[in-house]
Amino acid sequence: MTVRQDDRLTDGMPMRPVRCRRCDGLVLARKSSWEQTSIQWTEEAMAACPSLADDRHATCPALLSAIREAVLNGELKIVDA
Amino acid sequence: MTAAESDAIRVIEAEAIPARFARGWHCLGPAEKFSDGRPHTVNAFGQKLVVFRGANGNLNVLDAYCRHMGGDLSQGTVKGDEIACPFHDWRWGGDGRCKKIPYSRRVPLRARTAAWPTLLQDELLFVWNDPEGNPPPADVTIPRIEGVTSDEWTDWLWTETVVHTNCREVIDNVVDMAHFFYIHHSFPTYFKNIFEGHTATQIMKGKTRPDIARPDAEGNTMLGNTSVATYHGPAFMVDELTYHYQGFDLESVLINSHYPIDEHSFSLHSGIIVRRSEQLKGPAAEVTARKLSGFIQRGFEQDIAVWRTKTRIDNPLLCEEDGPVYQLRRWYEQFYTDAAEVTPEMTGRFEYEIDTTRPVEAWTRETEENLARRAAEGQPA
Ligand code: FES
Ligand SMILES: [Fe+2]
Repeated sequence: MTVRQDDRLTDGMPMRPVRCRRCDGLVLARKSSWEQTSIQWTEEAMAACPSLADDRHATCPALLSAIREAVLNGELKIVDA
Repeated sequence: MTAAESDAIRVIEAEAIPARFARGWHCLGPAEKFSDGRPHTVNAFGQKLVVFRGANGNLNVLDAYCRHMGGDLSQGTVKGDEIACPFHDWRWGGDGRCKKIPYSRRVPLRARTAAWPTLLQDELLFVWNDPEGNPPPADVTIPRIEGVTSDEWTDWLWTETVVHTNCREVIDNVVDMAHFFYIHHSFPTYFKNIFEGHTATQIMKGKTRPDIARPDAEGNTMLGNTSVATYHGPAFMVDELTYHYQGFDLESVLINSHYPIDEHSFSLHSGIIVRRSEQLKGPAAEVTARKLSGFIQRGFEQDIAVWRTKTRIDNPLLCEEDGPVYQLRRWYEQFYTDAAEVTPEMTGRFEYEIDTTRPVEAWTRETEENLARRAAEGQPA
């Protein structure tokens, strides 16, 4: 089996880098709507994030607000917008 | 994408299924089943295995075919700590070495067969499969399930079913929110996936469908459920599944596990334990566990009915309200890759939360239409 690309990233919107304001970790993020978020972490970002250690099932709130901010700044586009 | 490209007929692609089986811990089921001092045949990983418990109490898993003349050890006899071949009585130890040939002065060189590392935990037997033949790394583990050894919980209720398709189909369920509505008659309202290292998690909240809901015998109506389900490795999922009723919660732990028989079939297992509570005193807990187990079995049957006629597809065409199928398969690929070749993309943390606004709208409408139609036909809602 080869690893394939998600068409939604190539046909629609790719993932874009976003930096967390609290820990400075760099992730790739994508939002297909205001409510939808995908996050691809890097080793570095995982090591830097203080929230991850607390709850691995939760999305870091600081990172989530950085992603929302990136949308409001126009750095990250929402697919449906 | 150009207009011509977007107008082209979408072609379903499917590569040959790998003749390789996932690296990882696989659960063979409750250890008790293998502990009767008799050899047991298990068809797994494209081979025939023998599972037996020696007099020393160890549970062992060996290649079933005797290296002498090919006898089937799973038809043999346990003698002391060893399995004796039914053909010429060669004795094989749990470490895979021939310990004794009763009619010979000595055991020849090279008298060693394949032995699988085993793990006995929470009353379940696990085998470690690794096509490269390495032992399990210390950090690749199956978590303990606290309730199993506690009197506050019921005992395992376990089921097994042989499914005639490749086991990737069952893995895909991890990210497939919509099928829970269409196939399993549930109503997801929240859906999130997290892949990290050798784990893949699905967090799902759901409400009871008004067009399906029926109060149970005690008159309790289930309002919904919260499920946190994690695959630990390629084949063993632990689901902390809480059912919400008016005024109380019902806690259960559900195991959804499998082992490949060959590349075209797998053995699909479910296990459930239920926490005893004010509402579930004494035998009521066992009754509920049986009911839930039946419910899960029906869920499997619903999946199996789809798998029976669907086709394998490497390039699913996804909408934005579908889950991360490609990223899940990228995670799953790590188990089919030599350990040294596993890439950071396969194991890196990935989070994906679906926006359920649109699905919830559509499903609300659909359930309301079902209710209205039934009312018009004069059936009870
Ligand atoms: S084939 Fe097993 S003892 Fe001869
Ligand atoms: Fe399913």
